[in-house]
Amino acid sequence: MPEREAGQGAPNTQSNGIEVEGLVRQFKNGPKAVDGISLTVEPGEIYGFLGPNGAGKSTTVHMLTTLLPPTAGSARVAGLDVANQGAEVRKLIGAALQEAALDPNLTGREHMKLQTALHGLPREERVRRGDELIERVGLSSAADRRVGGYSGGMKRRLDLALALVHRPRVLFLDEPTTGLDPQSRASLWEEVTRLSTQDGVTVFLTTQYLEEADQLANRVGIIDAGKIAAEGTPSALKAEIGRPSVEVLPVDPERRGEAEQILLRFGTAVPAARDALSVRLNEGINELAAIVRSFDSAGIELASLGLNEPTLDDVFLAKTGRHLEGAGEADSAEMRLPEVEAAGSS
Amino acid sequence: MIPDRKYFSAGWAVAWRYLHNLYTKPAVFVPGLIFPLFFLAAFAGGLSAVGDTPKFDYYDFTAFQFCFILIQASALAGVFVGFSIAGDFEQGMGRRMMLATSRRSSILLGYAIGAALRLIVVWVIITGVSLLAGMEVRGSGYDLVGMYSLGLLANVVALLFSAGIAFRFRSLQAGPLMQMPVFIALFLAPVYVPQELLTGWIEPVAKVNPVTALLNGARSLMAGDPTGILLAYGIAFGMIALLALWALRGLRRAEVAG
Repeated sequence: MPEREAGQGAPNTQSNGIEVEGLVRQFKNGPKAVDGISLTVEPGEIYGFLGPNGAGKSTTVHMLTTLLPPTAGSARVAGLDVANQGAEVRKLIGAALQEAALDPNLTGREHMKLQTALHGLPREERVRRGDELIERVGLSSAADRRVGGYSGGMKRRLDLALALVHRPRVLFLDEPTTGLDPQSRASLWEEVTRLSTQDGVTVFLTTQYLEEADQLANRVGIIDAGKIAAEGTPSALKAEIGRPSVEVLPVDPERRGEAEQILLRFGTAVPAARDALSVRLNEGINELAAIVRSFDSAGIELASLGLNEPTLDDVFLAKTGRHLEGAGEADSAEMRLPEVEAAGSS
Repeated sequence: MIPDRKYFSAGWAVAWRYLHNLYTKPAVFVPGLIFPLFFLAAFAGGLSAVGDTPKFDYYDFTAFQFCFILIQASALAGVFVGFSIAGDFEQGMGRRMMLATSRRSSILLGYAIGAALRLIVVWVIITGVSLLAGMEVRGSGYDLVGMYSLGLLANVVALLFSAGIAFRFRSLQAGPLMQMPVFIALFLAPVYVPQELLTGWIEPVAKVNPVTALLNGARSLMAGDPTGILLAYGIAFGMIALLALWALRGLRRAEVAG
């Protein structure tokens, strides 16, 4: 998915952003779960809040959605102070939290009835709005079934629909795709993107999936141990930490030393997979052809040659000194370019 | 701030869900009904000989016990709502309601409406069973409205008390904390015999127990001879005022806890 401009096509961008300044939340006798974060989310933007478990993502969302008062600092959502104007804030925001809080005894349609009434929608609008959203999230055929029998993906989609009943200007999604299968995840991404681009809804999305932040977010904030470690567009963050790396695997293990000498002419060594060699390129992707030619002229046959663009995990590593938990398996496949088979063979 | 249409809409939504779950889950509804019926059978039936005790001057032992069952069932219906609140917070629905309502006291209002509507069904059943058991009613229509109103106030008192605990603990594990004090207060009132016949340690305890005023008031209304009604209503409204603060502060605690 190409990176999009914030609020592109947004019809409703009137003060529906988020401004956070020095926000702190300290639990009783505990450490600071959120430790003085500051960030700004532009109207109509999808802001990805990326971090490992326990980094402070959900606590931040709870403060911004008025579920939890900040210990210090300030936050304005849609132009309103979350600490002092909670009731007004709640009228303008929607939230789908980490645990989809659904009543297993109610059907999907009954949930919509409950939610529309809780938000005080006019009686004549409730059924229409509920049906419209149920259809939009693809739950029409299951709408009259009890939610206790829904799959995880169906529950998430219903939760999203419930968050939208009152047409919120700002939407908070706390790890919305955790535990979902790839198809459900893609469908939810599509809907979130549509909300931002077509409806102009500002989306604050927490995730521990690098791919999700990379694909969905206009900008990403990386949080670690309650502090913002980095912030920017995914491409800017990756560019900030540098150049791509090349990883090669010689066919003949005895020529590994020679291969290493060649590679080191083009960059600095970085950790590689077992038996492979990897360097961070000095000049960037333009050097790839020269590397292939060098191996060719030295007669070193390669089992594989791969070009690795920096990932958000690399950004996280560079900023925090450690990898993001769970990173790798979901992201490496998408982020790596296809390997060039036996580049040096001739 | 004056409650608006949205405030009452949210309250009705909470009440609707409470009643929906109550009447679609017999496992939740039936115990709340069996409880007063069991006490009615045990006290009015099994202990009917108590009515023959010298100086027991109430006109009908079944009616005498019915008034206690009415107050007890009403109060316990309020306590059961506390259980529902705690369960909702434990399962995350409490958070959904906190997020969706702009003014959160509408959540408490909704549970109170639900409890009152639930109570009507309980009243109809225990009244019907008592009448079938031969209960004699001497109070006029106005007296009976006054008597059931005392039941409703007992319900609100117990609801506010248990809601305060539920909002603070947000866990069903706090169930005994909601139930036990109400249960104890009910049984430290003149349950089996009129207050004048109580002796020993229970006599002074019953004298200061606020439930005693409610019970005496209800019995006098049932007998068509209203006495101590102002005291009963005064105590009930006083407790409601105090416990409303307790419940709303509990709600604030739930808000702060996230």
